[in-house]
Amino acid sequence: MNAIEIRNLTKTFGEKRAVDSLNMTVPEGAIYGFIGENGSGKSTTEKLICGLIQPSGGEIKLWGKEHRDPEMRAKIGVLIEAPGCFPNYTVWNNMKLQAANLGIKNENEEIRRVLHLVRMDGAASNKFKNCSLGMKQRIGIAFALLGNPKLLVLDEPINGLDADGMRIMREILTDLSRRGVTVLISSHILGELEKIATHYGIIRGGKMLKEMTAEQLNADCPTYVALKTDEIEKTRDILQRAFGRADIDEQTGEIRVYNANAEDTAKYLFGNFGIAVSEIRTAKISLEEYYINLMQEERK
Amino acid sequence: MNANLKNSDFGKRLKTMLKVDARRMFTMPTVWIMLGVSLALPILILVMTSFMGGTTVNPQTGVEETVVTFTNVWQAIGSAGGAMSMVLTSMCNINLLYFLVAIFVCLFVGEDFRSGYVKNLFTVRSKKLDYVLSKTIVLFAASVGMFVLYFVGAMIGGGIAGLSFDLAAVGASAGGIIACMISKVFFALVFVSIALTLATVGKQKLWLSILGSLAAGMLLFTMIPMMTPLNSGAFNVALCVLGAPIFAVGLGAVSNIILNKTSLV
Repeated sequence: MNAIEIRNLTKTFGEKRAVDSLNMTVPEGAIYGFIGENGSGKSTTEKLICGLIQPSGGEIKLWGKEHRDPEMRAKIGVLIEAPGCFPNYTVWNNMKLQAANLGIKNENEEIRRVLHLVRMDGAASNKFKNCSLGMKQRIGIAFALLGNPKLLVLDEPINGLDADGMRIMREILTDLSRRGVTVLISSHILGELEKIATHYGIIRGGKMLKEMTAEQLNADCPTYVALKTDEIEKTRDILQRAFGRADIDEQTGEIRVYNANAEDTAKYLFGNFGIAVSEIRTAKISLEEYYINLMQEERK
Repeated sequence: MNANLKNSDFGKRLKTMLKVDARRMFTMPTVWIMLGVSLALPILILVMTSFMGGTTVNPQTGVEETVVTFTNVWQAIGSAGGAMSMVLTSMCNINLLYFLVAIFVCLFVGEDFRSGYVKNLFTVRSKKLDYVLSKTIVLFAASVGMFVLYFVGAMIGGGIAGLSFDLAAVGASAGGIIACMISKVFFALVFVSIALTLATVGKQKLWLSILGSLAAGMLLFTMIPMMTPLNSGAFNVALCVLGAPIFAVGLGAVSNIILNKTSLV
């Protein structure tokens, strides 16, 4: 069953089409990485799913039912942009309000549980406005987790988190997914997303460019041989002629050869041109590179 | 431990929403400030104006004018007959509270939108009616408190200023005063619902909802003495007790439509 199913969703703001006939399918239990440039329509789509803004057209279904259905809406936990907390209230009082809003019976116990999950036990008595950006993000996650939601909609939740915060977030989301919770997460930190996402959706100009599973992405991402020599330019030209595509990675100083085998490439260079390879390895392009290549193709 | 909103009926949803609003009400400093102002305002007005009085010369016209000040404590509650005149006792009485109520409503509702708390509320609540109804009830309850405190403050202020407590002198009776207060309290519901509707229109733009509410309040201000005179009777009470809730239901429906049709963030 799909947790979210969107068909021909459109949202216009005056003349601007923020979301344009968008189709999207998020299977139950998936961690769906929602990727796109700034202003591509990610947050608008998430707000539409959560019913915070009204669509201009199309339909959104949650577990097969209309997204306005109160029963479906009660299953959502949300962190969009910033946590919706009263700045002058303590973290605890803010969470008490949300617990009351959700009609949770054992409020104190539940609040302690979610604060512990995000390692924010000690922050309960802090005023929300005095919390750091990273703390606020974690508290926002704790908010979203109140009441054991079945669907989490998280907009840039790892922004402002330190390395430890990101690790905790990864652990929480992976654990939730294992327990059948569906997570829709948008982020620009693709390296982090790649570690946890089971599905991806790439949006551009309000339209869904591509939807795929992590396995499909893996299959789509070409492998390459990365090598280092003393004569980079010359080697690149030789490999380009031999294998069709060879690029220089400006950051690492490596030459990347696609559709090649590491051992054969090293032998070919040394045997035919006397070029010695100092380092060689086989790798796959990352989600970030895949995304950048896709965006470049789209711009063309 | 799942959230308890699924499959919940209207009563349960309203109960949880009321719980949220009541909690906010008692943890929000603005509420206590407003209640404190309601108590202090009549004391300050009555005590300070007791030092005024007599005659004064208008510097523009050069004509000697009599300054009408409070001579009777019940003037702080209203005037018999219901006519409004541009004198101190007509302008600086309990009716000022309606403006304070309107500002308070805008602050209370505006903070939901400004803090982004509406995201938490409306993601799990598709029925905006719960929100409108709960806000109306809680804010009306707060305005009742404000009116009661103003009344208490007026009694204290009148005592300190040494004003007369003679009901007959102002053409009122004990029953009339009670009817007047009931009418005034219920009339506050009109201001609550107007300010609530404007706050849902203004959302994060607090200035817009406050200005709108004050402007609407100015239009209604002249009506208040007619609807709730000091010598109110059953007709005034019935008009306010029945009319104000009907008005609030109408505007509540408008607020509900606004919340359903417009972007909440």
